Amino acid sequence: MSSVLTPSRRRDLGLVVSQIRYEQRAYWRNRSRGIFTFVFPLMFLVIFASLNNGHHLSSLGGIPYNDFFVPGILAYGVIGTTFVNMAISTAILRDEGILKRMQGTPLPRWAYVAARIGSTVLIVLAITAVTLGLGVAAYGVHIRLSTQPGLIVTLVLGTAAFTTLGIGITRFIPNAEAAPVIVNLLVLPLTFISSVWFPPNGMPRALSSVAKFFPIRPLAEGLQTVFDPRTVGAGFNGQDLKTLLIWTGVGVILMLRFLRRPVGEPAIGEAA
Amino acid sequence: MPSGAIALLRATALPQAPSRPMTDVMVDFGRSPLTRAAVPTYARRMTSTRFRTEELAIEVRDLRKSYGDVEALRGVSFEVPRGEVFCLLGPNGAGKTTAVEILEGYRLRSAGDARVLGLDPATGDRELRERVGIVLQQCGVQNDLTVAELVEMYGQYHVRRRTVDEVIELVELTEKRNVRAKKLSGGQRRRLDLALALVGDPDLIFLDEPTTGFDPAARRQAWSTIRSLCELGKTVFLTTHFMDEAQYLADRVAVMRAGEIIAIGSPDEIGGRDLRPSEIRFVLPAGWSLGDVPTVPSRGRSLEGDRVLITTTAPVAAAQQITGWAVDHNLDLEHFSVTQPTLEDIYLELTGSSNHNSDLEEAVR
Repeated sequence: MSSVLTPSRRRDLGLVVSQIRYEQRAYWRNRSRGIFTFVFPLMFLVIFASLNNGHHLSSLGGIPYNDFFVPGILAYGVIGTTFVNMAISTAILRDEGILKRMQGTPLPRWAYVAARIGSTVLIVLAITAVTLGLGVAAYGVHIRLSTQPGLIVTLVLGTAAFTTLGIGITRFIPNAEAAPVIVNLLVLPLTFISSVWFPPNGMPRALSSVAKFFPIRPLAEGLQTVFDPRTVGAGFNGQDLKTLLIWTGVGVILMLRFLRRPVGEPAIGEAA
Repeated sequence: MPSGAIALLRATALPQAPSRPMTDVMVDFGRSPLTRAAVPTYARRMTSTRFRTEELAIEVRDLRKSYGDVEALRGVSFEVPRGEVFCLLGPNGAGKTTAVEILEGYRLRSAGDARVLGLDPATGDRELRERVGIVLQQCGVQNDLTVAELVEMYGQYHVRRRTVDEVIELVELTEKRNVRAKKLSGGQRRRLDLALALVGDPDLIFLDEPTTGFDPAARRQAWSTIRSLCELGKTVFLTTHFMDEAQYLADRVAVMRAGEIIAIGSPDEIGGRDLRPSEIRFVLPAGWSLGDVPTVPSRGRSLEGDRVLITTTAPVAAAQQITGWAVDHNLDLEHFSVTQPTLEDIYLELTGSSNHNSDLEEAVR
């Protein structure tokens, strides 16, 4: 055991925890950053859930609309926190030279990345608590103890997939100004065919296969399974979880490729 | 910099001087909040490698870097002894940034050898980053955190570090300690950059154009801060566009052009500056001609409008003869001056970006 937690490792873990605190402090102080994460999903939650309160979805066996929509918007909130926010903030860190500055310090790169991910996880916990809290308090959503394992596993896999993808995609974002446009162009259209706003019934098969290929629909449907009153068992949706797992693998590979590049090294052909 | 800040620096100085043999204990773990037992292994390795480091902070041999067909560095060699302020000068595109960033570990060399504090910068070793402070050119910082938070945050990455208050006082940001970085002025931001590089109590500090955007008073302050760093035995590697900065700060300067070092030496001697002829100038008094001015040992003399220019390697004797002649004839020599070529003159001549030299040659002829 002592070989696992050497003084160096213990110190590094302490650094990660401490860095998470600084990341959190900086995050909550910056109001514009919170818009994508908190204001958007909560605004949509209040608007759509209020408009459709009391409605039932005949296509889903007559379950209340909000049992479908609250987990859908939770998926949207998680994606905003992990993918959208992570990609935009990483592009900013890169363009402003902060990644370069951090690279010049003794803080190991893995520790800095771990702290950024850890901070994101805390925000995911916050958005989950607020969304579900509002859903339960105002829109008649029921949290069932039996499906909690499904909720936790789906959230963990969704966070893992979208956080790593968010860091990894920065490689394909030319500059920080383009980042919000690019990530929202990727996310927003997909949400409309991904069971976030309304059930995907009657959708053309081609669109449906596109949606099933990408990870947004698996996350939304995975969470909707958890809150579907018809669900029996622990709330696992095997096919969705499998897709999320595959995308987590893709995300990890992309993230490692992004992180391996020396920050100051220009591409071949680019003069000094 | 107020004397208080210098005293502060001295008070916390490590038992280290550039000339002192490296057998002294260099790492003062007593100042670190960590006990000796808790010091991580990489930091303990750090102490042992310090004994090998000898006198050279930086050693570069035939350093080469190419980007595709473009050769940014074409065989650069130099050494920087510990405790020296070394300054790299050169026009944009000369390869300064490439050279510095290879030493900082941001870029990989194509060929040649480089040692920084006895270590290879290419491996990006953590023990190297523990001992090196970097002030990058125009580099962002976590804008939503305050000055004190940032100094504390960057400090915690180092095993050996200075206290937050000490560093903030050193760069004179005490009044701004609770202000967020985004609210600082350009000069204050630059001082914050310096603070973040100094908080780890580095042995070697890279400063890339550290005073760009400073007003003249702030530059003077920054200079004395940098000067006081080397009094502590720190090595400073500086790049700058300002010749007066190089003149004031540097023990030695190296001039780069097109990926090569074309001259290296002290600011007063580089390019044979100390051997260059001096120039004596004055306004020719009305009614007198150039032929009336006494002949002095000179390389040449000329008249430009009403201005006399005498180029001489014996400025003292020449000046005495000319002023003696003027006193004898009760003449007032307006704008009388004796000048030597400045570092800037030499720099422009070396880098070939001036026709000043051809003017000089003409005058000599």
